[in-house]
Amino acid sequence: MTRTVALATTPDRADQRRRTRFQTGMAVAVLVVCVSLIAGMALFILREIEDLSSANSDNVQWSLSQADVEFIRFQLALSQAQVDGDAEHLNLLRRRYDIFYSRMTTLRTGTVYADVRQDFEFTRHLLAVDSFLNDVMPVIDAPDSELLAGLPLLTRKAQMVFPDVRSMSLAGLAAFAERSDERRTGLISMLVVLAVVLAVIFSGLVLFAYFLFRLYRLAETRADLVVEASEHTRMIVSAAPDAIIVTDANGRILDFNPEAQRTFGHSRSAALGEDALTFLFAEESADDLRRELASDDDAPTRHFETRDRALAGERAKAEFLAVMSHEMRTPLNGMLGTMQLMRDHKLDERQTDLLDRMERSGRQLHGLVDDVLDLSKFEAGKMTASRKPFSIGRVLDGVVETAAPLASAAQNDLGWSWQGPEKDDAIGDARRLRQVLLNLVGNAIKFTRGGSVDIEVECLRDGKTLEIRVIDTGIGISSDDMTRIFNDFETLDSSYARQAGGTGLGLGIAQRLIRLMGGEIGAESEPGEGSIFWVRMPLCADGVEAEAVPAAEVEDRTPSRSLDLLLVEDNETNRFVARQMLEAEGHRVTEAVNGRAGLEWAEDRAFDVILMDVSMPVMDGPEATRRIRAGGGPSSDRPIIAVTAHALPEEIEGFEAAGMNACISKPLSRAKLMTTLADIVDGAGAGQSRGAAPSRSDLIDTEQLDILRAGLPEDRRDDILQRFIDETDQTIARLSTDTPEAEGLVARVHACAGNCGTFGAVALRAALAGIETNSKRGTPITRDQLTALAPLWQDTRAALLDHIQ
Amino acid sequence: MLTTTTKTALSTIAALCLAASVQAADLGQPEGETILTISGEITTTNAGATATFDQAMLEAMDTVTYETETIWTEGPQTFTGVLLSDLMELVGATGDSLAATAINDYAVKIPATDWVDGGPIIAYLQNGNPMSVRDKGPLWVIYPYDDNPDYQSEVTYSRSIWQLDRITVEK
Repeated sequence: MTRTVALATTPDRADQRRRTRFQTGMAVAVLVVCVSLIAGMALFILREIEDLSSANSDNVQWSLSQADVEFIRFQLALSQAQVDGDAEHLNLLRRRYDIFYSRMTTLRTGTVYADVRQDFEFTRHLLAVDSFLNDVMPVIDAPDSELLAGLPLLTRKAQMVFPDVRSMSLAGLAAFAERSDERRTGLISMLVVLAVVLAVIFSGLVLFAYFLFRLYRLAETRADLVVEASEHTRMIVSAAPDAIIVTDANGRILDFNPEAQRTFGHSRSAALGEDALTFLFAEESADDLRRELASDDDAPTRHFETRDRALAGERAKAEFLAVMSHEMRTPLNGMLGTMQLMRDHKLDERQTDLLDRMERSGRQLHGLVDDVLDLSKFEAGKMTASRKPFSIGRVLDGVVETAAPLASAAQNDLGWSWQGPEKDDAIGDARRLRQVLLNLVGNAIKFTRGGSVDIEVECLRDGKTLEIRVIDTGIGISSDDMTRIFNDFETLDSSYARQAGGTGLGLGIAQRLIRLMGGEIGAESEPGEGSIFWVRMPLCADGVEAEAVPAAEVEDRTPSRSLDLLLVEDNETNRFVARQMLEAEGHRVTEAVNGRAGLEWAEDRAFDVILMDVSMPVMDGPEATRRIRAGGGPSSDRPIIAVTAHALPEEIEGFEAAGMNACISKPLSRAKLMTTLADIVDGAGAGQSRGAAPSRSDLIDTEQLDILRAGLPEDRRDDILQRFIDETDQTIARLSTDTPEAEGLVARVHACAGNCGTFGAVALRAALAGIETNSKRGTPITRDQLTALAPLWQDTRAALLDHIQ
Repeated sequence: MLTTTTKTALSTIAALCLAASVQAADLGQPEGETILTISGEITTTNAGATATFDQAMLEAMDTVTYETETIWTEGPQTFTGVLLSDLMELVGATGDSLAATAINDYAVKIPATDWVDGGPIIAYLQNGNPMSVRDKGPLWVIYPYDDNPDYQSEVTYSRSIWQLDRITVEK
C-alpha cells in the first residue's frame, strides 16, 4: 500500500529530468569557474615563485656600505703611506685602490644594482667617484717615486671625493629601501588577490558541494524508485499464478518464480544461472524449442493477433446474422399478411389447400428466422427477460392450443396437468416461457408417432420453483446424443428430424432463455421408450401480484365503433396489409410514409388512434410521437400505438416515455390488431368487468390463504388477518368515494392490490390491477371502476371470514 | 636533512680513501707569486701545514669552463678554472667545510656538500683573460648559475667569493 502511495506522489518525470539537467549544468559551470580561477592563480603564483626562487638581490646593502668602508681603508692606507713611504705601504695603498676600484666596477655594471642605478642621485655620485678613480689611476700605477710624489695631491682629491662616496652609498641604500617597499607592497597586493581568489574558490566549492549533494539526493531518490520498481516486478513475478522464468539473452536463468519451482520441480537456487532450455527440458525438446524460438521471435504476438482476428470475425458474423434475419422478417411479414388477406376472397378448395401449404412454409420460415435472430441477440448480449405477473395456466393452454394441430397430425395425444397443488400466479417472462415450451412440445411431437405428449406442471416444495416436464412416448435419445442436443445447430440424424427440418437451434435457444430467466433445463431419455424434457425456474414467488393475462390475448374483441385511423409506416407491403385488415373491419385509414408525414397529418386532423411504426427513415416513430404530443395539434391527446418488429422490454419503456400508449408486434394479425384497438378505445378490463357475478371460489384463492396462514405463528394469525380486513375496509371506503383524479389514488390502489395478493383476494386484486393498468397506460380511470370496488370487497370479506371459520 | 647528512658522510669517506692514495703525491712548489694558500684539515701540503699555489700550479690541473651570467657582471661570461672538489681532493681535505677569505677580507663558509662535480670552480680566467684585483681577481669562486637554477640563490651568491686568496678547511 505504502509503495503505491510512494509511486503516486513521485513528481513528474520530465520535470525531474529538467531539474537534474539544470543542477548538473550549474555544478559543471561552478567547477569550470573554480578550475579556471585556480589555473590563473597557479600561473600567477608560479611566475612569482620563479622570480623569488632565483635570488637577484645578493646582499646589496652590505655591498653599498662596504664601498664606504673600502674607501676609508684606501684613505687610511694613503695617510700611512705619507707617514712611511716604503714599498710595502705603497703596495698596500695600491691594493686598497684595486679593491675599491673592483667594488665600484661591480656597482657600475652588476645587474643586481640595475634597480639602484635607476636612482638619479646614486648614479650622479657614482659617476663622480668613477671619474676620481680614473683620474688617479695613472698616479697609482706609476713607479713608487712618482706615487710618493703624488701622495699629497691624491690625499686632497680623496678628501674631496669622500662626500660623493658617502652620498652614493646613502642614495643607494635609500633607493634599495624604496625598491624593497615596492616589492613588499606588490607581495601584499598579491596576497590580497590570492585571498580574494581563494574566497571565490571556496564559495564556488561550497556551491559545487551543494549541487553535488542535490544530485546525490536525486540519484538516491531515483535509486529508491528503481529498487521499488524492481521490487514490484519481483513481487508480481513471485505472486504470479503462472510459471515465470526470466532469462538473459543467452538463455541463462535470472529468476525462477515459486510457480515455476512447483511446475518444474527445481528449487530457485538450483535453477539460477543454468541454461533454461537444457535445464528444464529433455534434450530433443530443448533443441526443438531452441529452433522454434530462433525462427519465430514474435510467436506470442502472432498468437494474440490470430486470436483477435478470430474474435473480430465471430463478432462480424453474429452482427451479419442479426441484420440479415431482421431484414428477412419484413418481406416475410408482407407475404404472411397478404396470404391472410387472400382468405377474404372467394377461394376454391384447391386454392385454399395451396394457401395453407404456403402459409405453413411461411410460418416455418418465420420461425427459423426468429430462431436465428434470437441466437444473434444472445450472442450480442442484448437479450433480457422481463418480470411481469402472468397466469401459468393460460400460458400452457396457449401452448397446447397452438401445438394441437401438429399433434393430431402426428396422431399424438397432447395435454397438460398440474401435479400437486395448483398455483397459477407467477412473475416472469411469459413470452419466453411460451417460446421454450412450444419448442419442447414441438420437438416431442416431431419424434413421436401415435403416442402421447404430456405436460406436467408442478410447484416444488420450496414454494418458489416451478417445474414443467414435457413427457413423450417417442423414439427417445441415445446417451451419446444426449450430450449434444443442447448444442447450437445440432440436428439428430433421424428420419423424423429430417422430415421436420429445423435449424437445430431450438434447444440451444431454449437453454439460453431458461438460463436468462434464472432457471435450468435438462432431459432424460430411454431409447425406444420416450424422453422427458424438464425446465425449472423461479416463478412461484410469495406475495405474487399476478396480473391477469390481458384478456385480449385469449379473447377476440373488436372496437365498439368505427374508427378514423392514421397509419404511419414506411414499408409499402406492411402498409397495404394493415390497411386491408383495418378496412375489412369497417375502419377508415389514412396513410403516412414516415414520421414527418405522420406528424403533419396529426397536426392537421384529429384521428381516433394513430398506428406508428418505430423504425422509419426521415423521422422515427418515437420522435414523431414526442412531437405530436408536444405540438398541441388536434391529435396531440389521441392514443398512439407503436408497431414494431421485435421490441425489447427496455425499448417498450422508451416508447412509453415518448408518449406511446401501447405496443403491438409484427407480423400483424387481424385479431391482435382489433383487440389492441378495443383495449385502447374502450378501456382495458372492459371485457372482464362484463362477466357474471363472481362465484365464491373466484373471489378468494383459498390455497394461497392457507399457505399464508400456515406460515404465520398460531397466536398472531387472526390478528394479522383482522388487520388486513380493517385496513382494506378503510381503503375501499375511501376509494369508492374518490374521484378518478383524486390525489394519491393510484398509490392507494397499488398498496391495496399488494395486500389482496398476499391474502388471496384474487378478484379484488384483479379489479384494482385493472385500475392501475389504466393509470399506467394513460387511459382514464372511470368512476364505475371505483364504485364497483365496494360490493366486490363485501363479497370477498364474507368469503374470507367464511373460509377461516 | 637525512639526505644531506648521508651525502656528507659519503663524501667524507670518499675523501678519506682518496687521501691515502695521494698522500705521497708531491704538490710541487709555487714558482711565481703565491695566489692561494690552503690550511686546516688537509693531508697534502707543500709549505709547512699549508698548501700554496701559484697561477701555474692551478693551470696545470684539469680545467673546467662554465658559460653563465652573473648578477655582478653584464652579459654572458665564460669562466675557466679548477673544480673546488678537485682541489680539495688534491690537498686531501678531510673537513666538513672550508672558510674562504678574500683580499678585501670578505669571508664565507662553503660546506663540503658543495665540493662536487658540476659544482663550484675556482676561476682564474674570465672570458679567456687572467683577472686582476681590479677585475675581482685573481681567483673567483664561480658556480654554474645558468646550468643549475638551484645555484641562483642568496646563499650561493654569498659563497661566490671574489679576490679569493686563502682557504681554511675546517672540521
